[in-house]
Amino acid sequence: MLKIRNLHAAIDGTPILKGIDLEVKPGEVHAIMGPNGSGKSTLSQVLAGNEDYEITDGEIILGDKNLLEMPTEQRAREGVFLAFQYPVEIPGVSNLQFLKTALNSIRSYHGQEELDAATFMRLAKEKIKQVNLDPAFLKRGVNEGFSGGEKKRNEIMQMLMLEPRLAILDETDSGLDIDALKVVADGVNALRHPERSVIMVTHYQRLLDYIVPDYVHVLAKGKIIKSGGKELALELEEKGYGWLGIEDSANA
Amino acid sequence: MNAVKKFPEALLCTAPQNSRLCEALQKLQQNARAQLDTLALPTRKNEDWRYSAAALSHLDTLSNNSTGQGAAEAASDGVSGYRLVLRNGLWQKDAGELPENHLVEVISFEQLNESDAALVSQSTLYQRSDLPFAQLNTAHFSEGLFIRIKKNQRLDQPLVIQYDSEDQGASYPKLFVLAESGAQATLIEEFTGASGETPACTVLTNSVTELRLQPQSQLTLIRLDLAGESVAHTGLTLAQLQRDSRLETHCAGFGGKLRRHDLKVALAEPGAECKLNGVCVTLGQQHYDNHTEIEHIASHCNSEENYRCIAADSSRIVFNGRIHIHRDAQKSNGAMNNRNLLLSNDAEIDTKPELEIYADDVKCAHGTTIGQLNEEELFYLLTRGIPKDQAATMLTLGFVVELVYQIPDENVRTLVEQKLEAFIHAAHV
Repeated sequence: MLKIRNLHAAIDGTPILKGIDLEVKPGEVHAIMGPNGSGKSTLSQVLAGNEDYEITDGEIILGDKNLLEMPTEQRAREGVFLAFQYPVEIPGVSNLQFLKTALNSIRSYHGQEELDAATFMRLAKEKIKQVNLDPAFLKRGVNEGFSGGEKKRNEIMQMLMLEPRLAILDETDSGLDIDALKVVADGVNALRHPERSVIMVTHYQRLLDYIVPDYVHVLAKGKIIKSGGKELALELEEKGYGWLGIEDSANA
Repeated sequence: MNAVKKFPEALLCTAPQNSRLCEALQKLQQNARAQLDTLALPTRKNEDWRYSAAALSHLDTLSNNSTGQGAAEAASDGVSGYRLVLRNGLWQKDAGELPENHLVEVISFEQLNESDAALVSQSTLYQRSDLPFAQLNTAHFSEGLFIRIKKNQRLDQPLVIQYDSEDQGASYPKLFVLAESGAQATLIEEFTGASGETPACTVLTNSVTELRLQPQSQLTLIRLDLAGESVAHTGLTLAQLQRDSRLETHCAGFGGKLRRHDLKVALAEPGAECKLNGVCVTLGQQHYDNHTEIEHIASHCNSEENYRCIAADSSRIVFNGRIHIHRDAQKSNGAMNNRNLLLSNDAEIDTKPELEIYADDVKCAHGTTIGQLNEEELFYLLTRGIPKDQAATMLTLGFVVELVYQIPDENVRTLVEQKLEAFIHAAHV
């Protein structure tokens, strides 16, 4: 599904990712953990195609295509979805219009017919219920006036609508209460499929109680310094990052 | 010293006066005509015209052979309500449709009774020397319409006033709207005519609309500037609000070669309130100048103003928002916000908030921003598979649509949204 080889990325000339190697096979869920400032969010943004980051070396292959050669919108149409850590508010653009345009862009890319208004509405209402948001939100501006938890649930709602083959969750769990965390986890679990993969970037082990990963990686100073099974997350929860020879400012 | 630049000849020669106007109005017009000789065309040095003086050169291509001929038709753009049609400034009684329910009265200035005539002729308009185009209007207007919304009545449909100019030359529509005590109405001023692009200005619509809101009255004015490129438009809206009255304006301005709207609101008695909304867009080489002025004369008045402007290509928009809080206007509450979007490096928006505050117990806030499309918002849309040009269109439209949604008439909202979409498709985003 996804192969990242020797990925180096910098922002404003400052190197952030310093040689990432990662392979995610179809159907797998990978958790990427690590202290603040380790490059977790940078990796998410780079995968989605944020042009603020300069790729200085390495490659990212999705299926058999070179992701780095695609603009952001094409990556999305190829099935990459990023659930943002901080989703932006766009007043004046309604959720409904936004979702419909997005879904139909992706559908037409794959040679599928655009959904008619009624079918789309039915789908949107079904998915918004699934993440426990008021259907009235569909008519509001994108994330406009949403609470932190509502924004995160809206990200999951979009993910359920667009059915990506590679979902990247960038700290979707941070700032959520237990109920909202369950909603998010249920959404991700509902999407799990032998042909779909998930990368969860998280600071906390808590999310992994609800979405059980196949692999856990520790990212520090721009490199993956340790990989293991789900038990690695528990070990990190218990011992912190210190035993790996790195400091976590958040836990210090 | 340079000689004072005059208005072009086409705007100076006058037709014989309408002898059916009342004496006071004829006198005012004579005074204005007498001053035409010395009336100077504003230049860059004139602060009020600093950013728009260049656009005035488009007046040079006007001719004065206005015929006033041609059949007027009600515009078929989906805006509905009662309808008054003015063609080249003259009331077309055959076109349009007026209410028969006597909630509203439309009277030509020729038939004003004594007290109405006094109301019109004693307007502060004639004491001002800072409004050269209004002076031109006074010098030239031939008829003038008085609209009365009757005491404690609520007009059941909007009254659409359609200004059409299909002809050549200048027209000088003049309107005086009196909302009597406790009356409620929505007026839609629609400036139409001359669709399509032409290399030169052939028409000037130089309008003056006065609004007088008596105590407790509520007036909503929707002003749609939709005329084609070749129509130059300079318009003045002058409102005076009496005790506890409320004025709401929604202006939608689409650019042309020369477009200028002066909106001047006097909160003259306690408890008066105004809310001024405006959306303004330009593309190509277009121009649009918004000058607003809110005078807090009495205490306990509120004003709120929101303007959003988008300039594309190498067009130019001016927003000048003045709030003047007089010494006795304690407990005034004013808020002005102007946000602007530039869609190209060659576009220009000149925005200037002007706050003059002489009272000490007031709240008055203002905010102005100029920016380009928000990169973060754009990235967000792209990550969902939305093509870049479509994403840019959505964001651009979204920037002004918030204000469009506040227009309290569904047909107008639809029309403005359509026009905005057409604008965005025509502009190079």
